[in-house]
Amino acid sequence: MAGLAPGVQRRGMVRGRKWPFHLGLTATALIIAFPLLYAALIATQNNPEIFSFRVTPGTALRSNFEAVWVNRDFAGAMWNTVQMSFYVTAGKTVLSLLAGLAFVYFKFRGKWIVFFFVLVTLMMPTEVMILAMFRMVSGFGWQDTMTALVAPFLASATGAFLFRQHFANLPGELLEASQIDGASPIKFLTKVLIPISWNVIAALSVIQFVYTWNMFLWPSLIIRDEARQVVQVSLQTLTNIDGALTYGPLMLAAIIASIPPAIVFLLLQKRFMSGFAIGQDK
Amino acid sequence: MKYRILLLVAAVSLIAAACGGDSDPTTTTAAPGDGGTSAAPGEVIDIDFWVAFSDEARLGFAEDRAAEFNTKHPEYNIEVTSFASYNDAFDAAVLAVDSGEPPGIIHFFEAATRQALDAVGADGNPIFKSVTEAIAGRSEILGEPVVLDSVVSAARDYYTVDGSFYSMPWNTSTTVMFNNMDMLKAAGVNEPPETWGDVEDACEAIMGMADAPSGCITWPNHSWFVEQSLGQQGELLGNADNGRSGRATEVYLESDGMLNYVGWWKELADNGYYTYTGLQRDWDGTSNAYIAEEVAMLIYSSSDTTFFDENTTFDNQASFMPRNEDVAYVGNLIGGATLWMLDGMDTATQDGALAFMNFFSNPANAAAWHQLTGYVPITQDAVDLLQGEGWYDESPNSKVASDQLAAAENTPASLGALLGNFVGIRDVITIAIEDILVNDLDVATRMAQANEEANKSLSEYEQLYGG
Amino acid sequence: MLIIGLVGAALVGPLYTWRNSDTVSVRRFGIASAVAVAGAAVSPIAMGQCGFAAEATGVDALFAYGLMAGGALLALMALQALFDRADGKVKESTAMAGEIRTGGYRMGWWVPWLLLSPTLIILLVFLYRPAVETFTLSTQLTRLGAPKSVDVCFSNFTEVLIDNPFKLVLYPLLAIGAVYGARFWTRRSLPGSASHRAAGVASVAAMLSVFVALYAMFSPGGGGQIAYRPIYINTVIISVGIVALGMIGGLAVAYLAFRDIRGGTLYRTLLIWPYAISPAVAGVLFFMIFDPTAGVFTHVMDSWFGIDVPNYREHAVLAQGAIILASAWKILGYNILFYLAGLQTVPIDQIEAAVIDGASAWQRFTKIVLPALSPITFFLLVTNLTYAFFEVYATIDFMTKGAPAGKTSVAIYEIIRVGVNNGDLGRGAAQSVLLFIAVIGVTLWQFRTSGSRVSYGGA
Repeated sequence: MAGLAPGVQRRGMVRGRKWPFHLGLTATALIIAFPLLYAALIATQNNPEIFSFRVTPGTALRSNFEAVWVNRDFAGAMWNTVQMSFYVTAGKTVLSLLAGLAFVYFKFRGKWIVFFFVLVTLMMPTEVMILAMFRMVSGFGWQDTMTALVAPFLASATGAFLFRQHFANLPGELLEASQIDGASPIKFLTKVLIPISWNVIAALSVIQFVYTWNMFLWPSLIIRDEARQVVQVSLQTLTNIDGALTYGPLMLAAIIASIPPAIVFLLLQKRFMSGFAIGQDK
Repeated sequence: MKYRILLLVAAVSLIAAACGGDSDPTTTTAAPGDGGTSAAPGEVIDIDFWVAFSDEARLGFAEDRAAEFNTKHPEYNIEVTSFASYNDAFDAAVLAVDSGEPPGIIHFFEAATRQALDAVGADGNPIFKSVTEAIAGRSEILGEPVVLDSVVSAARDYYTVDGSFYSMPWNTSTTVMFNNMDMLKAAGVNEPPETWGDVEDACEAIMGMADAPSGCITWPNHSWFVEQSLGQQGELLGNADNGRSGRATEVYLESDGMLNYVGWWKELADNGYYTYTGLQRDWDGTSNAYIAEEVAMLIYSSSDTTFFDENTTFDNQASFMPRNEDVAYVGNLIGGATLWMLDGMDTATQDGALAFMNFFSNPANAAAWHQLTGYVPITQDAVDLLQGEGWYDESPNSKVASDQLAAAENTPASLGALLGNFVGIRDVITIAIEDILVNDLDVATRMAQANEEANKSLSEYEQLYGG
Repeated sequence: MLIIGLVGAALVGPLYTWRNSDTVSVRRFGIASAVAVAGAAVSPIAMGQCGFAAEATGVDALFAYGLMAGGALLALMALQALFDRADGKVKESTAMAGEIRTGGYRMGWWVPWLLLSPTLIILLVFLYRPAVETFTLSTQLTRLGAPKSVDVCFSNFTEVLIDNPFKLVLYPLLAIGAVYGARFWTRRSLPGSASHRAAGVASVAAMLSVFVALYAMFSPGGGGQIAYRPIYINTVIISVGIVALGMIGGLAVAYLAFRDIRGGTLYRTLLIWPYAISPAVAGVLFFMIFDPTAGVFTHVMDSWFGIDVPNYREHAVLAQGAIILASAWKILGYNILFYLAGLQTVPIDQIEAAVIDGASAWQRFTKIVLPALSPITFFLLVTNLTYAFFEVYATIDFMTKGAPAGKTSVAIYEIIRVGVNNGDLGRGAAQSVLLFIAVIGVTLWQFRTSGSRVSYGGA
């Protein structure tokens, strides 16, 4: 259903004047943006400037940036988070593609049991078993490692079902054509299925990347070494830079921490939305 | 569009591949606890040192000392790892021991002393070794003079269990009060208040001023302040002499001293004198309120004496923690943390760890640490050094903590408690006080409930660890 | 005691089969009876019958019977699936429709298993295993790193509930009765009649009675019990607040934004970007806005309106409101995104017909737009609820840390406080199980209500 793409408009819904809508939308966009704009202002100020409630940019952007990026090695935390998000997103996409392929293009005994086995995990969010998982994963000796951040999140029922449904809706002739060519399942996947599935892959990737980047609870438990921490949790130590609550560096760090997911989201926005059309419209 | 995604993916994979070398963090640290294998001659011995600080000043101090030690003793490499809080370091250590990769030296806070003594590894043996025992009477190790004998008595008495130093004292502080003398004098109060009554009088005067601040006094809602007050009033927190003549199996959260203190606290709050920041253990918020002159007095850890001297724009004067004038003063206790050494290291590694810990607190370093922060100078030699330099004449506020500790009697009450699950019991106390302050509950009833919870928590701990 | 339960299971087994099967036979009744007994016996064998021990309370016995009943029911459901397969009654719609393609790969049986194995292994190790361990831990007294653990039967559960077994049975039965009663009434009454409208009101009241029943079942504390009732209330208030504010706001903004005006794409981007913001950052941003010393909110209220706003962390309503606001702001973009998509499916001809009929804008919105959006609304309800249950953790951790006096400590926050910060793994695990049950409840309700609408496909 292409109608979900934001570019596709429907006629006849607006009658009369349009300026009230422009006004309303601009106002709403400003209200939604306010917390971030305010944070951007604070990020340029030092404590005395903040306490005097200046509405003009302050003088401390540079020193705040140094405090965050250099002294506190926020750069290191960012890099840890980039790695984690990349590995999880890539791994989840690949595993989900393989699972979708097996579900749709193979007949095998026990399929319904496997299907059920995966389906049930939809009602098993990691958070409700986080204590047992914490104990188990640290029992593996994985605390403070990238493995602990990545491995538990590599499989996804949502992803597997998303691809299963997407493949099931593709014309069956695709497989017949490639079987005549004698293509192996993996070749079929890479040469036929993936090229026509970019929208779904992009949609899943955006969701997974943003989700992983924004993870907080699990890293806060399993990563304690500050040098290996991810940005969302590292923000916590920035509330206190040199003995007192310092707002500027914290706001700056919050903004920096939001840049990568925002870029991914904006770059893939269109595909994300049209990918969702496939996931949603049933 | 497709190409943009491909480019993105390709770019990220390239970066990931380029930096793949350091993507596996397990390879970057050695595990000194692995046991008896002696390092081959000429090989550098790695010793992990876990520090529960993440701020530049204090973590930086530890890193600088480690670097100096490494230069001085090239056969060793002390590697500092930073943790956001004492609890984080403690939890991580418990897990690291369980999985067989513990660090050589760990920085634990005072409340974890009992738990550290109780901690056992997978083989059922204690995981930490007594520092006294490991030093075995030597007066220097690898050329570093042993400083243990010179440790000031307050810290010595707190950390001596069964006649032995299990851990090496490092950052040690006590509670002091910081006074905005400009504000107090404006209200006609010329000396820092000494007793609870003095505080109330001062607050009445301050809040009666035309340009009164939003509150008069604040301090963090942290169980440590409660424990300090019990020490002052000579009351025990746990049985068996506060857990010092045996294992404590019972806690007393309903004692007169407890009810007096919490009652006084609530009264200050009810009168609008005490400002609650709304968060438990809120060191930052309370310190901000004092610096921003929202309150005239702040009861705080002496660990930030230097910080307040440098960051206040008014006449900042430190004084003893106010006491209850209705009972005889017994003594304030210490707080802070010590360095614990792992058991099971080979002789060379263990000597390296011992040498480092003694180097770390040698007179020059202990004095520098004190000047940087406000933690008390941990050895008498360091005190003498500072005295000789005239430091205390320059910064009289820095002497208050040591003076207060020197004024204490050496009784179990003023030594402070050693309790199992102390962290959890502290949590029970903090929650109860927040409940009383925020929800205006009856002190005796709420503390009785807290007493029940804390005793349950302690008895469960004893079920798992005791006997 | 145990025997009563097993005999009960032996009787229920055939009854269940008789109710659910087309083909009935003595042999099937026998099998059902045996399977039910076996299912009921699992939990007493695993837990050493501790629920029936001499020192066990009535509530303990209740739990033991409950687990036996659950075990029997699960076993019977599995058995019924087998019977149905034998009868050739497999509902194609349940799972398999769609993917039986012309041909399909004809390769070794191991190929699909190989393709699935990474997914299955990860799910097994990192979801199923911890799930089972959560249940095991919930029956123990144990700490992180402790040299031993003690089995405590159901006490980690019974101490968060009231200690009266009769009320514990009565309250849920009353709530279930109310729900079914209202449903019956709705079905019996004539659509459009006053009785039907009253039945509608009664249905809502019956739904609410479920919340009230749970409220009454959780312990208010005291007498050695743990005060879980406040945690339950916090969780309900904060979750409902986030979901209501986030969804109503999302729909309102989407309804404003989906029109065909110049710059529409830009507007949409400017409205949905908070989707990419993390719950932690949302907490940080609102922490700044509401900060009592340096925040703009207190300052503006004071200097522009002369209102002296108290520290939000000291007042339950303000603290909960701040958490709700921050979380609703963060999830708003997500809701706008989906409502924008949903609004594209609204039948345009119906709206045009309604305009010709002279229906007001509000009537068009409630009679045509809202019903057309109900699948999306339902989907968002579930995802928003999941967000409010779990992701809110980071926001709370940055803004209030549960203050004042635990009034913003929701279920997940309490689990971490008890299980990690206090190291009390058993109690933390028991509270996790409670949250687990809530999640299963919501998911099953979603499956039942949504049928084929939601995104997992075929099912």
